[in-house]
Amino acid sequence: MIKIDGLTILFDSFKIVDLNIQIEEGGFHFLLGPTGSGKTLILESIMGLRKPKTGRIWIGDREVQGLPPELRGISYVPQDLALFPHLNVKGNIFFGIKARDLDIRIYEEYVHALVEVMRVEHLLERYPAHLSGGEKKQVALLRALAPKPKLLLLDEPFSGLDPSIKVDIQHLLKNLHASFHPTTLCVTHDFEEAYFLGDGMTIFIEGKVEQVGKRDDVFLKPKSKKVAQFLGAKNLYRAKILKNEESSQRLILGINGLQFSIPTNLYQDKMKVGKEVDLFIRPEEVMIIREGKPVKDSLKQNIFEGEILNITEKGRYHLIYFQTMEGKIPFEISIPNYAFRNLNLSVGKTVKVALRDESLWVMA
Amino acid sequence: MSFRYTMIGAAACIFIFYLGLILSLFYFIGGKGFWEALAHPNTLFSIRLSLITATVATFFAVLVGLPSAYALSRFKFFGKEILDTFLEIPIIISPIALGAAFLVFFNTPLGELIQNKGIFFVFEVPGIILAQFATIAGLVTRLMKASLDEISPRYEAVARSLGSSPWQAFYRVTLPLSFRGLLASVILSWAKAFGEFGATVTLAGAMPGKTETMPVAIFTALASANIDKAIVLILILVAFGLFILYSVRLTGKRYRYD
Repeated sequence: MIKIDGLTILFDSFKIVDLNIQIEEGGFHFLLGPTGSGKTLILESIMGLRKPKTGRIWIGDREVQGLPPELRGISYVPQDLALFPHLNVKGNIFFGIKARDLDIRIYEEYVHALVEVMRVEHLLERYPAHLSGGEKKQVALLRALAPKPKLLLLDEPFSGLDPSIKVDIQHLLKNLHASFHPTTLCVTHDFEEAYFLGDGMTIFIEGKVEQVGKRDDVFLKPKSKKVAQFLGAKNLYRAKILKNEESSQRLILGINGLQFSIPTNLYQDKMKVGKEVDLFIRPEEVMIIREGKPVKDSLKQNIFEGEILNITEKGRYHLIYFQTMEGKIPFEISIPNYAFRNLNLSVGKTVKVALRDESLWVMA
Repeated sequence: MSFRYTMIGAAACIFIFYLGLILSLFYFIGGKGFWEALAHPNTLFSIRLSLITATVATFFAVLVGLPSAYALSRFKFFGKEILDTFLEIPIIISPIALGAAFLVFFNTPLGELIQNKGIFFVFEVPGIILAQFATIAGLVTRLMKASLDEISPRYEAVARSLGSSPWQAFYRVTLPLSFRGLLASVILSWAKAFGEFGATVTLAGAMPGKTETMPVAIFTALASANIDKAIVLILILVAFGLFILYSVRLTGKRYRYD
């Protein structure tokens, strides 16, 4: 288990306060934060290249805070990769094994397995200058993994790749992790990346940890407006708790006179009447009701009539800008292309929408 | 005239200027004393003395300059700015002032102690080496720092994380990556030491067969109106110079890895 405890870094304009991260043996943890939030500084501090103001780092039960980088057993893949240009791919991959004076014969089989999973057999004799962007990433990952580090640090590992190659490399990395289980800490600003690869994540905004959790918990239950916004959430509103209907276990929230009914069992925080909260409506969970079609009971709690203000084609889906009649609350709805065609929507049309319970989330 | 031709024209003018200067020397080749001067023992001595002193001075300058260049390139430390400025002193001040400063130094109690208990510098061969060292130590540090600056410290960071000590990371990664640039710095500094005159003549004098390096020999030849000897020496210097510049060009090429 990797434990980072109370890491505080003050550097230039960066201020990172009391960062705590725990990663299970073999876990794949993501440190997610906006670009320019000092994530690289954190990795450099964990590695030992930079001295943090305070904080302790344990790898298993060994505290490594006082050790130089070469004795920590932490491999690092920087964003620019820094493949050694004067060594060929093989030389790069074996660099750590040679630097640590490990027995090459013992590691050869393991490295061979890594090379196979990463599919770089045909590149071994090449020099980095003759590799594509994706191939460079593959080699950099192998170079880091070859000496069997106790912790693998990845800094924005998919930046600067074409979308299709990015997906390939993500799958390769996922296979690699599934096969060899290196304990990994990865920093990125891309939630989709973290969602695809990670099991746990720490959301880090403006120098502070906003939320720690399993990936689904973070995605489905953002703790604060900041987290929701970072995850790309649209449709965030300031709402007031008007009523607590204990019989039906629902809260009634009001925005601009419009009332929303929310199930109470979702929230651990005490929701007192009169309190102001942030309401988040998930664009992909809102249903546009087809005219003349009966509505299921489960959807009847929150049905609003309104007008379509605008429609944007996004390629894979359509984005509908909708505004309620009552209260004039605008929100975005994303619907699949086939649904868009079936519903026969157009700008200016009046429609009814239903908000399922899954589409609503309240943050204190 | 177009912009392009104006700029290229200026470059051509500089080329013709230097070329004409060198070609004019050939006007006197083959004069009566020319071959005599070339074969004279003192001429050969000067060539050998210059080669040896420049090489020894460069060796010591690199010995100190390379670690200093690394420190300036990679670390933040107290007094870095001042040190950086001091490196330029031998480039800015007149070499004769540098040589005179040495003479003054060797007349202080510390200087006298060094000369009496250790090595004699004033009017001796070690004085030549010291003068050349003083002239190029700052320069070679500056040039090597520029070469090291080009190599991202990230390479070393990765090498460290893979288990290399700072020494190993330097030796296995930074040194091979910056090798051509460092070599070019060394060659240029050697050439500068080879041609050093002002500080050398002030500190070590101009004794034929003892402390007379090639540039000093040119000066004394001119002073005694021995034009043939002066031209022989100048041509040898030019030949050395062109050879060196060409070799720097060779090391500079094929340097890019990606």
